[in-house]
Amino acid sequence: MKLHEYQGKEILRQFGVNVQDGKVARTPDEVRAIAREYGQPVVVKAQVHVGGRGKAGGVKFSPTEDKAFENGEKILGMDIKGLTVNKVLVTKAVDIDAGVEYYVGMIVDRNVQSFTLMASAEGGMEIEEVAAATPEKIIKHRVDPVTGLRPYEAREVAIKAGFKGNLNKIADMMVKMSEAALKRDAVLVEINPLFVGPDGIPLALDTKFEIDDNAMYRHADLADWRELEAEHPLEIEASKYGFAYVKLDDGNVGVLGNGAGIVMTSLDVVNRAGAKPANFLDIGGGAKAEIVYNAVKLVSKDTDVKAIFINIFGGITRADEVAKGVIQALNDGILTKPVRMRIAGTAEDEAKALLAEVGSPLIQMYATMFEAADEAAKDANAAEGK
Amino acid sequence: MGILVDNNSRVIVQGMTGREGASHSRAMKDFGTQVVAGVTPGKGGTDFEGWPVYNSVAEAKAAHDANVSIIFVPPAGAADAVLEAAHAGMPLIVLITEGVPTVDMMKAVQEVKTLDAQSRAEGGQGIRLIGGNCPGLVTNGQAKVGIMPNKIYTNPGRIGLISRSGTLTYEAAKLLNDAGMGTSTTVGIGGDPVIGTTFADVLPLFEADPDTDAIVVIGEIGGADEEAAAEYIAQHMKKPVVAFISGRSAPKGKRMGHAGAIIMGDVGTPESKLAAFAAANVPVADTMPEIIDMVKAALSK
Repeated sequence: MKLHEYQGKEILRQFGVNVQDGKVARTPDEVRAIAREYGQPVVVKAQVHVGGRGKAGGVKFSPTEDKAFENGEKILGMDIKGLTVNKVLVTKAVDIDAGVEYYVGMIVDRNVQSFTLMASAEGGMEIEEVAAATPEKIIKHRVDPVTGLRPYEAREVAIKAGFKGNLNKIADMMVKMSEAALKRDAVLVEINPLFVGPDGIPLALDTKFEIDDNAMYRHADLADWRELEAEHPLEIEASKYGFAYVKLDDGNVGVLGNGAGIVMTSLDVVNRAGAKPANFLDIGGGAKAEIVYNAVKLVSKDTDVKAIFINIFGGITRADEVAKGVIQALNDGILTKPVRMRIAGTAEDEAKALLAEVGSPLIQMYATMFEAADEAAKDANAAEGK
Repeated sequence: MGILVDNNSRVIVQGMTGREGASHSRAMKDFGTQVVAGVTPGKGGTDFEGWPVYNSVAEAKAAHDANVSIIFVPPAGAADAVLEAAHAGMPLIVLITEGVPTVDMMKAVQEVKTLDAQSRAEGGQGIRLIGGNCPGLVTNGQAKVGIMPNKIYTNPGRIGLISRSGTLTYEAAKLLNDAGMGTSTTVGIGGDPVIGTTFADVLPLFEADPDTDAIVVIGEIGGADEEAAAEYIAQHMKKPVVAFISGRSAPKGKRMGHAGAIIMGDVGTPESKLAAFAAANVPVADTMPEIIDMVKAALSK
């Protein structure tokens, strides 16, 4: 689960990180009230789950209350990469020119089977850009998952990265960030910029925080931080059924299968067939007819989808259960788009018999995933007049 | 023969009495695997479909001289189940469970490595974890410690198979089976970001296996395991290796079902994996059926 900046900052604050003061506003009037309370220049920042807010005009320096109100009006309701801004964070502004901006972050790194701590004196920029242009400017350090980051390690990293200021306090901030990452099951946490003012004291001006979905069960206190309105409606529905579902842009073929690997390969196969996948949907293992029915229902709701490609390699999953689910969807009038499927494995012959009985041109079974994908691609492209 | 498991493997099932544990215990037995006991804390001393059930791995191991444990414990207790097996000195631990929190896996994998090193230093056989979120492993014609469908392993052969994906393991095994080549051992290493055994850990076992002539590596986007495998192959492997990369058309920054299948920045891209395999002279199939032709070509050289 991705957290908003203000939520990530709240977690860091709970772990003792020195975080820039700020409050959330939902109306321009609230923005003005917060600016008045702070009595100093503020920054109004869109709270949406996408990168590049600043470039999109979602972050604005506001020297006066009136300007803050005006910026609140501009940013609230604005569309950033398809997401509407419903909230802004109003923070005290700092004089960036009086200090320096650094970067620190931690990510789950499969190559070291733990977290990797990253630090760079090139703060304030997207770390990917720094990594691409000047990888030597990012210092990396594996964090022991049992002990967490120790202060001496943090100092060592800070020194190597060329950080200046109160090194003990900077290292302390990194240690606390590491504690937050481990205790709150982060997948990624960044403090960027980590601002060090003329007094040498570090201050977290912005943060990114993403929590491992598999660990959400032990962070029940954060459950209501999940904002359904910030997610794609079909993704919300998919999560109710327990499917792994990703909506893809510019697609016309709905893709579903049993297992992440086979669905990923199905996307590749649809691309090769000359169409575009509209989604990734993994129904998991051992699916019964009802699960398949729900999956077909979900994919059918997507207006981008013109044909559906089902790719199943059944071990525990039975082909006849898959066929039953699809037939049920047809009988209930949910299925109005062609379904082209490859179902190999357990009870394949029973599935064929069931489909033959129904005899609908909307549902066809093929011997290989390539044939099924080709047909789905043809149908989808034809429906779009391609 | 094959690697890691064979018909001498004595397997216990952690979580045998649960739904998944029960059905796969039966399927493994049907395959011919020596499943000797189950472990379900609190049900020790009972019998489950003819298998004795114990309260702990240590008890089951001692009573049956078991040397493999397969785990079907729900996510919240799965990493702990791994640690229990590792501390009981179980040489091979296979974690099937999907959805284990990553931080738990980081800690468990690190501790297993420490115990492995200790065991080896003391002259023991070490401790290896495979998975989590994996389909397990099969040595064709001998033993299955996993959840693969039995019927795709009807044709023991001489091709080793390693994969991050469960379903694609089945797909490749079936292709090899149908092509009359068959597999020696299949190892599903799992799709999570932190797993116990990587491609590069399995490759030397196949290189040393007299019953394996060539190896198929089924990778996917995300992480740099394939790149590490390519480097290992270039430096150490004499047997031919053929690769396949799944998810080549997936968009950046989106997690494709597997927690580990995400392209972050420039790490984990299909381009970097293809380049690494190219540098190691490993042919990469564009579609899975092409794997067969490539293996044939490699073997005829």
